Amino acid sequence: MKPVFLDHNATTFPSKTVVKALANFSAWGNPSSIHQSGQKARSILTQARRQIAKEIGCAPGEVIFTSGGSESNNLAIKGMLDHIIKIGRPKIISSVVEHPSVFNALKDLDENLIEVIRVPVTKEKGFDYEFLEEKLRSENVGLVSVMTANNETGEVFDIDRIVELAKKYGSFVHSDMVQTLGKLPVDLLKTRVDLASFSAHKFYSLKGLGVLFQRKGTPLLREISGGGQERGRRAGTENVLAAVCLGEQIKSLSETKDKVKAIKLLRDLMETRIKSEIGDVEVLCEKRERLSNSSMLFINGVEGETLLMNMDLKGYEISTGAACSSGNPEPSPVLIAMGLTNKEASCSMRLSLGWETTEDEINGFVDTLKEVVKRLRSLT
Amino acid sequence: MSIEEKEKKRKRVLVAMSGGVDSSVAAALLVEQGYDVIGCTMQVWDYSKTPQKNDCDIDAGSANNGTCCSSDDVDDARWVCEQLNIPFYILNCEDQFQAQVIDPFIESYLSGETPIPCVNCNTFLKFSHLYKKMKELDCDYLATGHYAKLILDEKGEHLIQTSEDEHKDQTYFLFTLKKEILSKLLFPVGDMEKPEVRKIAEEKNLVVAKKKDSIGICFIGKSGYKNFFDKHVASDLFKGGDVVLYPENKVLGKHEGLHGYTYGQRKSLGVSFTEPLFVKELDMKNDRLIVCREQDLYSSTVEVKDYNFFSEVNEGDEYRVKVRYQHKGSTAKIISKKDNKIELGFKEPQRSITPGQAAVFYKDKILFGGGWIK
Repeated sequence: MKPVFLDHNATTFPSKTVVKALANFSAWGNPSSIHQSGQKARSILTQARRQIAKEIGCAPGEVIFTSGGSESNNLAIKGMLDHIIKIGRPKIISSVVEHPSVFNALKDLDENLIEVIRVPVTKEKGFDYEFLEEKLRSENVGLVSVMTANNETGEVFDIDRIVELAKKYGSFVHSDMVQTLGKLPVDLLKTRVDLASFSAHKFYSLKGLGVLFQRKGTPLLREISGGGQERGRRAGTENVLAAVCLGEQIKSLSETKDKVKAIKLLRDLMETRIKSEIGDVEVLCEKRERLSNSSMLFINGVEGETLLMNMDLKGYEISTGAACSSGNPEPSPVLIAMGLTNKEASCSMRLSLGWETTEDEINGFVDTLKEVVKRLRSLT
Repeated sequence: MSIEEKEKKRKRVLVAMSGGVDSSVAAALLVEQGYDVIGCTMQVWDYSKTPQKNDCDIDAGSANNGTCCSSDDVDDARWVCEQLNIPFYILNCEDQFQAQVIDPFIESYLSGETPIPCVNCNTFLKFSHLYKKMKELDCDYLATGHYAKLILDEKGEHLIQTSEDEHKDQTYFLFTLKKEILSKLLFPVGDMEKPEVRKIAEEKNLVVAKKKDSIGICFIGKSGYKNFFDKHVASDLFKGGDVVLYPENKVLGKHEGLHGYTYGQRKSLGVSFTEPLFVKELDMKNDRLIVCREQDLYSSTVEVKDYNFFSEVNEGDEYRVKVRYQHKGSTAKIISKKDNKIELGFKEPQRSITPGQAAVFYKDKILFGGGWIK
């Protein structure tokens, strides 16, 4: 039996469109070459760039291809340092629940040069917008970097409000939008961030490609030096294959609205059944805006690690917090930052549905979960 | 397929895998025997905290360069499971390992003992934490790559017997196991000899077939005890002091901290004398290193505390008792047994009986149990 995949915030399978684009791909040339193979590669790379720009609401020149979401986040933060120091605004505001590629990029900065202020996000109250405004008012903030949606809890932050506040006090804004494609409407004409990060493999495309949106005029410095690719903003021969695949896949972005509706119904069905049939369950951030596909649950008395392994053995792939590179489960730092205890965090289970998740799969999942939780609870 | 085989197929086993040859072959044999096998590795050390090779107490392992429990070993275990087409999980045991193995190890050492952390790892992690996980994963058995045999006695009770491979026999480290869990354990390589195990690994083309055996204590590694304590214990806990000759009580010189010495040690004592001298005792209280002539290393009695036995033992009973892992064992009689303490008398005096090591009791090949040397 093919496993039922309920971990779409970690990654997604390549769609049929992507698989088809892969099979038809022949532009193996180097886009920087002058001969015809190079020209062909350059041409289809440009087409992909235009397609992506069109779908997310920006100009093709505002799209920088990178190796993934983590590189996009690092480039956005590190590429802005020079400028914000130069203009005498050497402070960056972020949140306590960012993805490690933002959180640790900020942690790695020289604290003699840059001060990092982190906005609290708690289980009870969510993102503290007043704290953000207070800091923007009182400190020389050059950059605000806050994610649009959290990869673990699924909580959606009011990025338009954050942009409005930052702009009011003259700060640049970056947003990690890696979790948005296919889950939230993305329109950079409307959402006036200066920088935004995306990742192809979170949207049914390939690993190894990210996008950093750089609004025209944003004074970003490159992090990788080399040839003049990406208009000198990111050196290295472009990943044409992955860019073409994302260019094709992103055409389906307009279907997001309908997909979101369907997924939300399934997610709500799942949560309702789990709460009523399993009991002693808490849904994190339940009363706040969340991604329609995401659910972070605490099943009292059952360790997430044990639950995950049991469900995996029965063909259901879930997660307990952020996917860790070593595969070694540890309490999620995001949950700890939100004020949960180690013990509470260790009872967490992250479920994230995808565009092809079916009602049968969800019902099968809940039935199995019920059986497993009952057995595990009987052991203690 | 016979009915019995069909029955077996339904039994599920959790195999503790270190990434070494023995546990890999254990898993492979169980798969071959038709069990539903799940592999797991306990992550006991956070490698991300020691990214620099020089900072790490544990030398990195790999398929060619073997040590226990490094992150390359986890990768090896995962690879073997991939080869066997069985599920594999990493269990985060860092906190338990720190609290139940590392901390007591340091404490025991600071009190002048020479501890064996492998026993605590077996007691609290492998045969307690993993045993619990085994139940939680709905398994019937927990298997390890130990060189020890599980047998049934005439009453149908489970007993542990020494391995066929005398050099590899690991029953010494198993004396703390609870009797009631023995029926839920499997030691698939327990009645084999090491060359046979390697041969199976090669025949099955397991990636770890040529990996070296792990030797010594996994978190100490090649850099030695002194290096470990220099890093993990506040330096003021180890003060220099006198080197004192037993029985004359004569000061022969100075030492720079007792953590550089072990019981019975002969070399590098830093004092010169007309006869060869050996470490008799680490007197932590007074920071004294007590040394003696070879004949004074021997003693005939030993006190054993916190014991655990699989069968009843009584005063007057005689056993073959091992006082360290490499010890062949020697005949000893239980002189007294009260207040969770046993006094043992050896037929022949034994060299360097060391506090913190275990006295493990056997009759023929059967492991009776054991306790800690006081």
